Amino acid sequence: MTAAAPPLVQGGTPESPRMRRGAPARIRALAANGPLFTVAVVVLVLLVLTAIFAPLLAPYDPEQINLKNSLAGSSPNHWLGTDQSGRDTFSRLLYGARTGLLGPLLVVGVSTLLGIVMGVVAAWRGGWVDSLLSRSMDMLFAFPAMLLAMLCVAVYGAGLTAPVIAMMVAYTPYVGRFVRSVARQEQSRPYIEAYKVQGWSAWSICTKHLIPNIVPTVFAQAAISFGYALIELAGLSYLGFGVQEPTADWGVMVNAGQSPLVKDVMLPAFAPATAIVIAVVAFGIVGEGLADRVAKRER
Amino acid sequence: MLRTAAISAVVALTAVGCSGGDNSDNGSGSSTADFKTQVDTPAAKGPIDHVKWSLYAEPQSLDPAYAFDYPPSTVVSNVCESLFRVNPDLKITPALAKSSANPDPLTWVYTLREGVKFHDGTTMTADDVVASLEHQRDPAVGGSYSTVFKNVDTIKATAPLEVTIKLKRPDVLLNEELAATPGSIESKAFLEKAGKDYGNPAVGVNCTGPFSLKEWKAGTSITLKKNDAYWDSTLMPKANEIEFVFIQDPAARANALLTGDVDGGYLLPTTAYDKLKTGDGHLYFGDITGSYSAAVTSLKGALGDVRVRRALSMAIDRQGIVQAGVNGYGTVSKAGAPPAAWATTPADQAKAKYDALPPLVQDVEGAKNLIKEAGAGGKKIVIATSPLAPELTVSCNAIADAAKAIGLQVELKTIAPDAYTALFTDPSQRDGIDLLVTSGYDLTPDPLEFYQTFQTGEFANYGSWSNPEYDAIAQQALGTNDPGTRAELTYKLQEITLREMPGIPLWDSPLSLYLGKRVTGVTPNITQMTYPWAALLGSAS
Repeated sequence: MTAAAPPLVQGGTPESPRMRRGAPARIRALAANGPLFTVAVVVLVLLVLTAIFAPLLAPYDPEQINLKNSLAGSSPNHWLGTDQSGRDTFSRLLYGARTGLLGPLLVVGVSTLLGIVMGVVAAWRGGWVDSLLSRSMDMLFAFPAMLLAMLCVAVYGAGLTAPVIAMMVAYTPYVGRFVRSVARQEQSRPYIEAYKVQGWSAWSICTKHLIPNIVPTVFAQAAISFGYALIELAGLSYLGFGVQEPTADWGVMVNAGQSPLVKDVMLPAFAPATAIVIAVVAFGIVGEGLADRVAKRER
Repeated sequence: MLRTAAISAVVALTAVGCSGGDNSDNGSGSSTADFKTQVDTPAAKGPIDHVKWSLYAEPQSLDPAYAFDYPPSTVVSNVCESLFRVNPDLKITPALAKSSANPDPLTWVYTLREGVKFHDGTTMTADDVVASLEHQRDPAVGGSYSTVFKNVDTIKATAPLEVTIKLKRPDVLLNEELAATPGSIESKAFLEKAGKDYGNPAVGVNCTGPFSLKEWKAGTSITLKKNDAYWDSTLMPKANEIEFVFIQDPAARANALLTGDVDGGYLLPTTAYDKLKTGDGHLYFGDITGSYSAAVTSLKGALGDVRVRRALSMAIDRQGIVQAGVNGYGTVSKAGAPPAAWATTPADQAKAKYDALPPLVQDVEGAKNLIKEAGAGGKKIVIATSPLAPELTVSCNAIADAAKAIGLQVELKTIAPDAYTALFTDPSQRDGIDLLVTSGYDLTPDPLEFYQTFQTGEFANYGSWSNPEYDAIAQQALGTNDPGTRAELTYKLQEITLREMPGIPLWDSPLSLYLGKRVTGVTPNITQMTYPWAALLGSAS
């Protein structure tokens, strides 16, 4: 698996000031993106709820083994069968949503925050600050996320922490460059000049107007990046660099489910792989949908 | 030396599985695998031009000094030979040495075979033997077998075809080890010329075996060709060429065998056994001279108390591990070394003695009482695990479950697959770990090879367990030439280990071999690691 740059969303910046609307209006507006978008949003909401309420939903302790029930097929007792150690695949799948979402959340959250700061500072200050930050980001581009993560694991050991930190570092320049580009566009709008003329400080203009106005675009980008981070972290866990046994994690589950595939026992690998695909596709659809909305508003 | 490093390879390849997809809640729990081990397969009926053989990984080197793992050993055993030979029936017979003499406990004299040619046409002399053994024991080479030579003082050519080894203390095992890879003989001139490149794809090796290296396409294949000048007419190869291909993915390997794309292979994934049984060829099983066990790597914590070690051993569901971990293709161990490891004694005697051992049955209540008696309730143990292989994961999960059931706290510490071998070679990597699952095989037919590793200060005595009585018996055995007397002493060592549990026996797995419909003749047992097995490989029709 190679590290891929999260694709940048197409779209511009919203008009200032920000449109402020109530929640029902927002939901209606989101639903206007089409049924696929709505389904994707519902899937994501369900995923989040699953992650939060996994202990209540899971019928079994995800780490409880039962050697006498190894690789059992689907049954009323075990909807998705069991893995080689006889652990309930459905329960592990539910718990797997936790690491599956937590890792990307940290990666995307932190890299977006840092990226916004770097991008806006570079765009606003221009000159040598812009050059310095841009070249720094270029240097970080030289390290594919997966490679950086493997390096981090080699130094700090396997687990969720090292890959997440590495991915944060790898994702930040993508966000930073994107934000810089969007912020420069936004900066050229007349209202920014107007605030400057009125004597507003750079800090106030950026924090109260510029950043809030680019946030929807950045947020759409973040949703897509979330899917990419999810699949890359799952890939690292699959390769043995990320989350480790016996923790229930989708990547770990796919790895453990690979051996039974030789015997045509599909569920231990197929179930978590499907979960990964659904989550990534849902994040992609939501991200694209949000980007489309931003672009429409721009037009 | 028990080759524990190779364990990871066994572990990696005997991947397991079981039937799924039914509507029951039984999983593989009730499945019992039907298998029996054998020494030979039907003899070849004629020559064959080209055979394609699968390896699960590419060897890193063909230098015998580094041939500690399955892929290199499976190749090197046909190219390089030792002073003696461990045959498929586990009996040692002369090879490049015609005979050996032991005039006193500290001296071994080897008389070499005359007129043996290396693959480059030069003739083997005592100087080549000395250079080869020095290469193996040279710490600078960092070979896998240097500890085999720990009791060696000097190795000298005492005549053109005579080599004398002087020991610092008696060590009959060394003489037996020279029948395996540590006794591999290479050309001195070639060894010196190749230097650090010896054994790599570009340079290769220059030995005396029934096959020579024809070509090594790095990343793709290794091709051996028949050595027409081979000295042993009884093992003149029937195949003109053997091409070893590297197929890592278990499913791809199984499919390549089933479709006939490759003719055969050792160490197949257990998940593929049932499928392979339906193929045009045959699936065979052979004995391995080692068992899976849980090595106690630290006696500083809870496992320092023998009652806790015994309690943990009592609590483990070994039958469950065999069923879930290796799909039923194994048996529950009764001791650290299986009956097959006792090949210096008559097979029926070894089996009878082993059968007479008390079974290691699961008794959780008894184990809880022991823990209570030891006051160890709530104490924590750390078990190393790895996603390296499913049976490793399953067995570690089962041990952790057993430990929890008797009131211990457990932490499973996951080790990355590529770091797992380092646990056996670098003591610092075991810091903070109390237990790890290991396996391996003896190079020799002598069970003393396994049991001597528990002596104080031995490299493979991972937990630094120490017992003066044990050390004294082991030293006595190492100085005892008579195999029967030595075996009796080794039984005493076994008894002590079962009482003291420096390692907790788990299960035995067989070695697997698949032969496609075109070929036959090779042994399915562990001797393929050192015996020139491919010389017997020929046409099945």
